Amino acid sequence: MEWRFKVVNIAAGICLAALSGMVYADNTAVNPALPTAASFYTNNFQSLKSRSLDAQSFNSQSFNSSSYLLATNEDDALLGQEGMTTVTPATDFKPPLMSGRKAHQYLGLGTVALAGLTMLAAPGEGCDHNCPPASQQPPRQTSGTTHTRLARATAAMAIATVMTGLIYHWDDIHWEDAFTDPDKMHARLAAAGALLMLYAVEKSAHSTVPTSHAGIAELGAAAMVVAIKLTW
Amino acid sequence: MMQTKSKVAALLAIALSVSGAYAHAEEDFVGWLLNFQRQKNVRPVTDKQYQEECGGCHFAYQPGLLPAKSWEVLLNANALRKHFGVNAELDDDTLKVIHDYAVDNAADKSWYKRSRKIAVATEEGPAPLRITELRYISLKHHEIPEKMIKGNKGVKSLSFCDKCHTQAAKGVYDADTVDIPNYPNWDGWFNK
Repeated sequence: MEWRFKVVNIAAGICLAALSGMVYADNTAVNPALPTAASFYTNNFQSLKSRSLDAQSFNSQSFNSSSYLLATNEDDALLGQEGMTTVTPATDFKPPLMSGRKAHQYLGLGTVALAGLTMLAAPGEGCDHNCPPASQQPPRQTSGTTHTRLARATAAMAIATVMTGLIYHWDDIHWEDAFTDPDKMHARLAAAGALLMLYAVEKSAHSTVPTSHAGIAELGAAAMVVAIKLTW
Repeated sequence: MMQTKSKVAALLAIALSVSGAYAHAEEDFVGWLLNFQRQKNVRPVTDKQYQEECGGCHFAYQPGLLPAKSWEVLLNANALRKHFGVNAELDDDTLKVIHDYAVDNAADKSWYKRSRKIAVATEEGPAPLRITELRYISLKHHEIPEKMIKGNKGVKSLSFCDKCHTQAAKGVYDADTVDIPNYPNWDGWFNK
């Protein structure tokens, strides 16, 4: 039972992460507007040749810093090519509806929403008055209830959020950045929040008696909320 | 049951305070905390004079892209006579308006995320004078090959933010809004 629970959790996290990656891939790699390798370099070469014709308007530092230009210093080849330059005209660019970064954002917001629903679906503490002895109380349900399902989904989504964040925002975090850098704080808090939620689920799932896991899970959700706010 | 009710009440209270926070400005921490609007990038330019005077010659860089100490150095009568090799003198009244607007909305006085990143990174050391020299900006662009910037006739320099950042005028510099001329659909290290 224990291994099955772990496998389900891990599989859910991997599926969510993979799903976001697939959506992202669909937006880029399969896009027919992407240039072929040949046109890619042809366009670049043409623009560089024209740029070289305008070289006088550039300062020497920028001119010399472009190693690619060293290969295009054949004046004869450059002359008369200006009209062939292919510069993509300014089009009405529309940001993609879905991308890896947006998947990360939606997963984060989804995690917080699910955490709220999990909290609302929490079962009561049992009876308040005239409670029967513990031995006569019904066994504690650690699976199959709405609360447990939502809790596992929340934990899985939290892990997927952290994973997609690491993949798609890796370039926003640098060791040299200050401790109070917003992206660094965001990453730390979100990772801590996800781990706390995961720990709360694990702690509750493996206990036959009522456990105080709610506070841990709520702290994790709060960390997630603050993490989102820091970079919202 | 009582516990659930109190939690629901707390959630409602938070939701109400957040929904009522739209009117809050971002001057203080509480205002920022309760502001639900997106502040991920930099505050867009809202001053018409700043937009017209600076935008007349180059992209009107949002003040939140540099700390106040940088704007102090850049926006004074002497500095503007040699504004990156060009005489960009302004009359005293106009200069005061632009200077005050830039300093009041500088990176270290803004709650917008990218501004906060820039402010934290430039807290110590001399005032940076070029946005492209900021470590944060150069690190964000270091993965882009030179052929796509300096070697790209549609861009030419990193300082022409709006050539690639299609929503730069709104202060939005998200990677998803980048469209490099001549390199459609290029997206960071995934397409390297």
